[in-house]
Amino acid sequence: MTCREAIDVLADYLDGTMPPDVAAELARHLAECAPCLAYLATYRKTRELGTTAARVEMPEEMQVRLRRFLIDRLRAV
Amino acid sequence: MASLVSIRTPRRLPEIRGCRLRSLSTDDRSLLARAATGDASALEILMTRYSARVFRLAYGITRSAADAEEVAQDVFLQIVHKGAGFEGRAALGSWIYRITTNLSLNKRRGKRRELETSLDDLLPTYLPDGHRAGDRAFLVADWSRTPEHELLSDESRRILEAAIDRLPEHYRAVLVLKDVEELSNEEVAQIVGDTIAAVKTRLHRARMALREQLTRYLGAGA
Repeated sequence: MTCREAIDVLADYLDGTMPPDVAAELARHLAECAPCLAYLATYRKTRELGTTAARVEMPEEMQVRLRRFLIDRLRAV
Repeated sequence: MASLVSIRTPRRLPEIRGCRLRSLSTDDRSLLARAATGDASALEILMTRYSARVFRLAYGITRSAADAEEVAQDVFLQIVHKGAGFEGRAALGSWIYRITTNLSLNKRRGKRRELETSLDDLLPTYLPDGHRAGDRAFLVADWSRTPEHELLSDESRRILEAAIDRLPEHYRAVLVLKDVEELSNEEVAQIVGDTIAAVKTRLHRARMALREQLTRYLGAGA
């Protein structure tokens, strides 16, 4: 397995959808490749940080406005 | 080294994913029909169940609270106007995510494209033999063990937010549906109307682009 092939399967690895034989090949590659080992660790951490940063909740006042807007529109129908 | 590279299959969450997009229930059907007749209490229940998800996805794609609010309004108006005719071949949640995605992408049309950059400059490069190319110190920089207070500092957060802003909107849609809403690749593909392979590629490229930008900032101190 080359670095390109290893990096190509990282999403499947994190998803837990990697076939065992590919997982074994990836393990062998990572055992010998410090850059890919660092890539895996930082890729995983990026997913964690990205999830937190991309998760933006609706402000409470907006929920109130949305509810009011929709009730008004229903009444107008 | 060996203990670091042992491959363990990460925990999957099929039950949670399954619950998120359950198939249309009698309760859902009844709520949609009641909302279509102007029943405010039915609409309230639908809003309580779905407004948070609608906003998260709309904001994730538009990256604007004002635009996301308008999208949320339009989504619930469509639920009122079209919900009674919803045939339930897909789960209600999936249908609502699809409306939200389409309206958000429409809202973005022609806006802020100058912020979005080509991902090609942010993806790993390789030597002809398939091994990674680049400065060795940069390649082995592992900032994943950086203390949380540094990873969550204002500056790190700003860089990450800017990196998300620069992703093409179709990539952000997939990133939010998969990583924030925790849907399966199959569910995301159904919502965005693309193949599973295309969804997986887009998600992987988005994560790699974010990783690259974080590494340029955090990797120097790793």
